[in-house]
Amino acid sequence: MQKEIDYKNIYYPPGGLLIWILISLELLTFGIALIALVFMSKENPDLYHQSRLMLNTTYGAINTVFLLTSGFFMATTVHLFKKGNFTKASFLLKLTMLGGFLFLALKTLEYYHKIEAGLVLDYNTFFSFYWLLTGFHVIHVIVGLVILLYFNFTLEKQKTEDLEAGAAFWHMCDLIWLLLFPVIYLIL
Amino acid sequence: MQKKDIYTLVLLIILTITTAYFSNTFHNLEIISLVILTLSGLKFIAVVFQFMEMKKAHRVWKSTIILFLTLFIGIIFAVL
Repeated sequence: MQKEIDYKNIYYPPGGLLIWILISLELLTFGIALIALVFMSKENPDLYHQSRLMLNTTYGAINTVFLLTSGFFMATTVHLFKKGNFTKASFLLKLTMLGGFLFLALKTLEYYHKIEAGLVLDYNTFFSFYWLLTGFHVIHVIVGLVILLYFNFTLEKQKTEDLEAGAAFWHMCDLIWLLLFPVIYLIL
Repeated sequence: MQKKDIYTLVLLIILTITTAYFSNTFHNLEIISLVILTLSGLKFIAVVFQFMEMKKAHRVWKSTIILFLTLFIGIIFAVL
């Protein structure tokens, strides 16, 4: 059993203050970029609507489910770790990573179809936003997977605070995707 | 596994399918955009409060998250 952390203290949100400063900045950055995308779409609504219809909503929805399920396994990993059940926690951490890898695999397939159809970065402004926003998100997922991989090999030596910070980073990837998915794939 | 986490995951998957269905069925309807944004906001809150355990955090953090989300959805809908 690890020591309890007082989360009610304003300086100790779950995961720690530093990771929440990072999460806040990331959400602000992606949020502003998405607002810019919607703002730009008003100049040529038909172009943005037709471009949005070229995206595969089913891929987007399945990827959302992959990330959310992965987030669920991450949350369960943290619970089990706090109870000292390292064997189960390690297994669920691997399932968490599997969700991330499935997300990347489907994203690669989606990118492949887009490139094959010529819908690349400079096709139009909608696809510039699409590639930049989803591309930066993919980079976050890859960084998150590297962090999880490190935890996977050193789980028993980890402190609760560190695992929570890593988990918070992984959940941040969910949060960014939960902002990107409706705006890019569903509403324009 | 915590029961509340399982319920949250099921809710999140249902909301994801619902928003994708709405988007594919009703095109270019303002009200549907608002519904999709609101349901997506609920998903965001569920992940932050349940999976990230922010329900246990200080009220300043909870209020900041809700304020950010309200502003984001409000601005997006206002611009649309």
